[in-house]
Amino acid sequence: MSSTVSLPVGPAFAPPVAASTQQAAATLEANDIGKHFGGIHALEGVSLQLRAGEVHGLIGPNGSGKTTLLNLLSGYYQPNSGVIRLDGEDLSTATVQHRSRLGIARTFQKPRLLPTLPVLDNAVLGAWPHARAGFLATAFGLPWVGREDRALRARAVELLHGVGLGHVLRRRANLLSHAEQRFLEIARGLAMRPRFILLDEPAGGLTGHEIANLGDVIRTLRDGGIGVLLVEHHTDFVFRVCDRVTTLNVGRVIKHGAPDEVRNDAEVIRVYLGA
Amino acid sequence: MTANLRTGIALAVALLLVATLPRWAGDQYQLHLAALICVYWILIAGLNLVVGYTGQLSIGHVGLLAIGAYAFAILAGKMGWHPAAALIAAGALGGLCGLALGLPSLRLPGFYFAMATMAFALIVGEIVLAQVGLTGGGVGLPGPVFPAPFDTPHGFYYLVAALAVLTTWLSWNVARRLWGIGLMSIRDNPVAAQAVGVPLFRAKLTVFVFSGITAGIAGATFSSLQSYITPDTFVFELSLFFFVCIIIGGRGSIVGPFLGTVVLTALPELVAPLAKLGNFFYGLLLLVVVLAVPEGIGRMVEVVIERVRPRVVSNEPIEPDLPRLARAIGAPS
Amino acid sequence: MFTVVVSGLAIGMLYAAVALVYNVMFSTSKVLSVTTGHIAMLGGVFGAWFMTGLHLHWVIGLAGAIAVGALFGGLTELLAIRRVLNRSDEHLWLLSTLALATMVQQAVGLWWGTEPRPFPRLIDQTFSAGALDQKFWLPIALAALMAIGLEVFYRRTLFGKLFLAMSEDAFAARARGVSTDRIRVLSYVLSGALGGLAGFAAGQLTFAYFALGLTLTLNGFIALAVGGLGSNVGALIGGAALGLLNAFASHWFGGSYQQTIAVGLLMVVLLLKPEGLLGSKNVRPV
Repeated sequence: MSSTVSLPVGPAFAPPVAASTQQAAATLEANDIGKHFGGIHALEGVSLQLRAGEVHGLIGPNGSGKTTLLNLLSGYYQPNSGVIRLDGEDLSTATVQHRSRLGIARTFQKPRLLPTLPVLDNAVLGAWPHARAGFLATAFGLPWVGREDRALRARAVELLHGVGLGHVLRRRANLLSHAEQRFLEIARGLAMRPRFILLDEPAGGLTGHEIANLGDVIRTLRDGGIGVLLVEHHTDFVFRVCDRVTTLNVGRVIKHGAPDEVRNDAEVIRVYLGA
Repeated sequence: MTANLRTGIALAVALLLVATLPRWAGDQYQLHLAALICVYWILIAGLNLVVGYTGQLSIGHVGLLAIGAYAFAILAGKMGWHPAAALIAAGALGGLCGLALGLPSLRLPGFYFAMATMAFALIVGEIVLAQVGLTGGGVGLPGPVFPAPFDTPHGFYYLVAALAVLTTWLSWNVARRLWGIGLMSIRDNPVAAQAVGVPLFRAKLTVFVFSGITAGIAGATFSSLQSYITPDTFVFELSLFFFVCIIIGGRGSIVGPFLGTVVLTALPELVAPLAKLGNFFYGLLLLVVVLAVPEGIGRMVEVVIERVRPRVVSNEPIEPDLPRLARAIGAPS
Repeated sequence: MFTVVVSGLAIGMLYAAVALVYNVMFSTSKVLSVTTGHIAMLGGVFGAWFMTGLHLHWVIGLAGAIAVGALFGGLTELLAIRRVLNRSDEHLWLLSTLALATMVQQAVGLWWGTEPRPFPRLIDQTFSAGALDQKFWLPIALAALMAIGLEVFYRRTLFGKLFLAMSEDAFAARARGVSTDRIRVLSYVLSGALGGLAGFAAGQLTFAYFALGLTLTLNGFIALAVGGLGSNVGALIGGAALGLLNAFASHWFGGSYQQTIAVGLLMVVLLLKPEGLLGSKNVRPV
C-alpha cells in the first residue's frame, strides 16, 4: 500500500478534516472490473466512480452483479481483472480491515449485528478503526483508554439520535424491528468516520415513511461530504435521492448518468424498469 | 441510585467478602476450597475472554495449567528459584505455549480448533509422563511452598485471592471497553467484525496468549495448593470443567462464569452424591444449558425477571434528528 | 516387522472406520460430532458385556453391539443435533455433542469400570498366531468392507442417493420433498451401527475401555482430516497413514509419544494441503 494515500487516521482527539474540504480528487472507483466464480461471469468490464459528497445509485435486475461489485469495493472479493482505486491508489489487494481504516464503510443486505448486545454497543463497534487503545492499555485500565471510550460512546449516541434510534439505545439488537436494525447498521458505519459508505439495499422491508427518513439521512451524509453508494431495488427512491445512477445488467454497465437520463433510457426500461 | 453507584457498591461488598473470608469461612477445609476456587478462577477469568467473548471453543487449557504447574514445581523446587520468579516464569511459559498452540490452530474452523486444543492437552500429558528425568514421570513432583507470609493457609489464600482479583480486573477492563465488543463481534458476526476493521486472527491470538499467561500462573499456584502434582492431576476432564463453568455462567459476562466456577467447584464438595457422578454431572449440566438456555444461567435469570416484571417496551417510530446527525458527522469527537 | 505393519494397519483401520462414520454424519448434517469415537467405544464395551457378562454367542454380541451403536447414533441426532441446528449460534452443536460424549463416557466408566477389560475371542485361534491374529485382521477386513459397502450404498440404493442429495444441497433436497430431518436421523442411526460394528471388530485390539471414546474421536478425526473431509478413500488412507506411523514410531522410539506423533502428522498435512489429501476445496469444514 503506497504511503502517499492520505489516511484519515490521526491523533485521537484532533478534529477530523470535514470531508467537504478535502481535495476534489476524493474518489473510490472500480476500473474495468471483471469477476467470475468458476464458470459464472458475475461482472465484465464494469467501471464506476463514487465521488465524495455525492449519492451514486446502483440498480439492475437480480443477478446483475450489484452486490458483487459492492463486495469488490469493500474488499470481500478480489477482482479477476481491473483495478479498484481510492484517490487513484490501487486498492485491489487491501484487506477489508485495511479499507475500513481508509474510510470505506458498508451495510449488508441482511443486517449483521451482534444480537445479544445493546444498540449502543453495536454502534460504537464501528469506532474500532480509529480507536487507539490496544489490548494491554485496555487491560491495565489506563485513564486515557477510559476517556477515549467515553468519547467514542458519546459520538455513537449522537449518531444514533441522528439516525432516529435515540429511543432504543439500551435495547438488545435482536429485539429491534427490521427497520431499526437497518438504521443501526448505518449508524455503525458512520461511527467509522467513513469517507465513503456503501449501502446494500437499505430500503428493503421499510415502510414509505421510513424510506423517506432514509432519504433524509442519506442527503445529510452527502451534504457532510461522504460519498454514498446506494444499491437498491426501490427505483423511485433511487431516482429521488441520487445524483448519478449506474445500471447493471448481466454483469455489465448498460447505462450511467443523471437519474432522469437513466430513468428514460430505452434499454434500462426494457431490462429492468418495465413499461 | 445510578447504575454506576450500584456497581461500585456491589464491587466494594464483594471485595470486602473476599478479604475477610478466612474469618467467616469455618474450617481449614473451606479455606482450602476457597483458595482452590481462586486458583481455578485465575485460569477461567483468562479463558473466559477466549471462550466467552471471542467464541473460540478451546478445550485444552488443562495442558497450559499443567505446564504452569510443572514449570513452577521444577523451577522453584528442583532448581531452587525464588517462588516469585518461578511464578512469573510459569506465567510467561504459559503465554509462550499459548502462542505456540494458537498460531497454527486459531486459523482452523471450529471443530478442527477444538480438536487441536484437545490434542494439545493430551500431548502435554504424554510429554509430562515420558520426560521422567524432568517431571518425575508418573511419580510426579512436590509443589513448592511460597515464602512467608504466604506459607500458611491464610497467607496462601490472600496470595491467590489477590491474584484472582487482579486477573478479574484485567479481564473486566477488556470486557467493558471497545475491545470487549470487538471480541464479541468475532464471536457473533465475523463478517461484521471484518467490516469495522477488527483484525480477526491477531485479536484471537492476543486473548489466547493472555489466557495462556493466566493459566500458567494458575498452574503455579495450583501446584503449591495441591502440595504434590502428578500427571493424573491434569486429566482432560479438568479442561472440560473450566469450559463448562464459562458456558453455564453465560458467555459475554464476567460475573456469570465466576459464579459458575464457585458453584461447580463447591457443589461436588457439598453434595456428596454429585461427587461420585463427577464429570457425568458436568456433561449433563452442559447439555441441559445448551439445549434450554444457551446463553447461560445468567441470561435465564434475566429472562425470568423479565417475565415477572416486564419492562414496558415502547415502539416509537424512527425519527432522525438531521441537524444532530450533521453535527456528529462533521464535528470533532 | 510384518507384525508391526499389520498391527499398525489394524489400529489404523479402526481410525479409518471412525473417519467413515464422521463422513456419513457430516454428509447429512454438516456437523462433526464429538460422540463419533464414543460410538465405537460402546460397540466394544457392550460387545464384551454381551459375550462375557451375559454369556451370549458372539453373533448375538455382534448384533447387540450394532444395535447399541445405532441407538446411540440416533440419540446423538435427536438430542444434540436436531434441536441445535436451527439456532443461529453456529457452534452450539460442538457444545452439545461434547456434553453428550462426556456423559456417555463417564456413565460407561461408572458402570463398566475405568480399567480396560478383555474382549473375548470371536473365532477359535491360539494367542500365538502373531501377525495372523484375528485382532488385527478383523478391523482391517471390516474397514474395507465398510468402505465398499458405503460406495454401493451411495451408488445403488435410493437412500444412498438421498444422502448424497442432502449433502450436495440440503435446501434443494427439501424443496424436492425430501424429509431432511428423517434422512438425517437415519444417517446417524446407520453410521452409529457402523461405528458399533467397528468397535466390536476391533475389541480384541483395544480391549473394552471406557476412555477409548475420546481417543477415537480425536484419532478418527486426524485420519479424517489427513485423508480429506468427505472422502471415504481418504479416510482409509488417513487411517492407514496414522496407524502405520504410530506403529513404526513405537517400534523404533518407544510408545510414549503416540499422540504427539499423530498430531504432528496432522499439522504437516494441514500445513501443506489444508483440505486433506483427497479432500475437495469446496467442502467447507465446520
